[in-house]
Amino acid sequence: MEIIISNSSGVPIYEQIKDQIKAKIITNELQSGELLPSIRNLAKDLRCSVITTKNAYDDLVKEGYVITIPAKGFYVAEINMDIAHEEQLNKIENLLDSAVILAKTNNISKDQIKEIIDILYEEEK
Amino acid sequence: MENILEVKNLSKKYKDFELKNISFNLKKGMIMGFIGENGAGKTTTIKAILDIIKNYKGEIKIFGLDNKKDEKNIKEDIGVVLDDIFFPEILTPFDINSIMKDSHKKWDSDLYFKYLTDFSLPKKNQIKTFSKGMRKKLEIATALAHHPKLLILDEPTSGLDPIARNEVIDIFQEFIQNEECSILLSSHITTDLEHIADYITFINNGEILLSKTCDELLDQYGIVKCHETDFKKIEKRDYIKYKKNKYEYEILVENKKEFKNKYHIPTIDKLTLEDLMVLMIKGVK
Amino acid sequence: MIGFIKKDLLMIKSNIKTLCIIMFVYIFLAYQGQMDFSFILPFMSVIIMISTFAYDSYNKWDAYACCLPNGKQNSVKAKYIATLLLIIMTTIIMMIITIVISYVYQNKIDINAVLESIVVTLGSTIFLQSIMYPPIYKFGVEKARIGIFVIVFGIAIIGSFLYKYIDFKSISSSLAFLNDYGIIIIPIILVITLYISYKISETIYLKKEY
Repeated sequence: MEIIISNSSGVPIYEQIKDQIKAKIITNELQSGELLPSIRNLAKDLRCSVITTKNAYDDLVKEGYVITIPAKGFYVAEINMDIAHEEQLNKIENLLDSAVILAKTNNISKDQIKEIIDILYEEEK
Repeated sequence: MENILEVKNLSKKYKDFELKNISFNLKKGMIMGFIGENGAGKTTTIKAILDIIKNYKGEIKIFGLDNKKDEKNIKEDIGVVLDDIFFPEILTPFDINSIMKDSHKKWDSDLYFKYLTDFSLPKKNQIKTFSKGMRKKLEIATALAHHPKLLILDEPTSGLDPIARNEVIDIFQEFIQNEECSILLSSHITTDLEHIADYITFINNGEILLSKTCDELLDQYGIVKCHETDFKKIEKRDYIKYKKNKYEYEILVENKKEFKNKYHIPTIDKLTLEDLMVLMIKGVK
Repeated sequence: MIGFIKKDLLMIKSNIKTLCIIMFVYIFLAYQGQMDFSFILPFMSVIIMISTFAYDSYNKWDAYACCLPNGKQNSVKAKYIATLLLIIMTTIIMMIITIVISYVYQNKIDINAVLESIVVTLGSTIFLQSIMYPPIYKFGVEKARIGIFVIVFGIAIIGSFLYKYIDFKSISSSLAFLNDYGIIIIPIILVITLYISYKISETIYLKKEY
């Protein structure tokens, strides 16, 4: 499992860990039932504090991506792909929302934005 | 979670320095970074915890036991690295092993020699032939070899080059893989701590300024940079301290998100422990 | 405790050469018939033991010892016991050399003389240790040296003063029993002196701050 942490991005480290694990679950790179590394182990390997990884796991449990079995560890949960999908869509909507607001205040047309999205989609491939 | 170390209302008076009512707790399985300027009281606090200074007031509990009454039992389970305090330098690492195996019930010679090999330290040379970094590594190996539950480390990374510091930090993280084990680590090299510390306790001039989780500090606190006109709009209760530089104001705020929503000042930097120290000490309210 | 005794003995490892040289010089002298220097080796070992204090304080060993289990209680005790062990070992070595050489010479060995010299050697070295250690614990080796000079001079001056004004004949006659019972009384006095010295050193040590 690969997790890349940036110390300079300004995004809290626990959030970076959480988002990356979540993405791996949604893309099925981590399959349900799979055992995740322990809090302490992950902290050591990522060279961050135990509380950081604990926060990330706690959030993942709260959001239903991970279940915890006491004295055993953390496992990837059986997730409802629709809900996960929905959540990601929501996120995208939020991101686009600020783009649209910015576009409107600067008189940039819908088509121009679509064009940008097309280009970005091509580039990301 | 249980506290492995509790310091309550610790005070100690010297002629020109005073520890004022210091209190903090360290939980099981955690690393606490103890930061502050030189002379802020880090070493004095550590020495009081170890009960090697006298006439201090307050209550110190280690593993739930009183640090004076149960001293012997406590010290079986503590490993220490103290600044400039060690075995006489005419002894060798080999000698240390034969001394320590009769001093600590749980001394593990194999583990000790494994650390020496890992650190590539010579076994039969006198300590006085060692470089400063080698000495520190030997001190760390000695502190770890009896499987302690609490490590108390005063400036363990000072004098080490970045590579050795990395090795040592790996060992500390390896050490807390066991959930029963904790570390109290004083340092003024704050970047080491930003990575691995769970809690940060900040002492200045004999007083604890804050004791919080490292994440809380690094993720919530922020440093705002702005011009004088913006600064004048900021209410006093919305920042902790500020420092006026030549071209800008640097302002330490407790919650950068709230601050951003309220004032719309764009430049809010992520906090580093170094900034925190500088602003807390040099800044004004 | 055994660990700490080991530590003090390991610290004189680098001085073993010196002790060996002294031993060979004595063997040479004894071979020439000069057997009055048998005290020199135990005496030197006390001096070398005193030098370990300097290394202890240079690396603040005492503070480190206090961080080990039972460190506070054992540190002083170990130093006294290690010194005693060293004195006893070196005394035994010297006696063996003396006896062997006398045997080679086919001299009659006067057991009383040998015993007497053991008592005198042990007595003087242990007395030296008892007097030196408390001031060393209090002031450190460097300053204690000056203190010890003062003490020795003080004793000498008081002694000469007493010598002038006190009738020694009556005292020496009342001390005559020492000749008969000295071998029993001197060890008792020594043990008491050593114990008092140890207690003083320990009290000083326990009051120290690091």
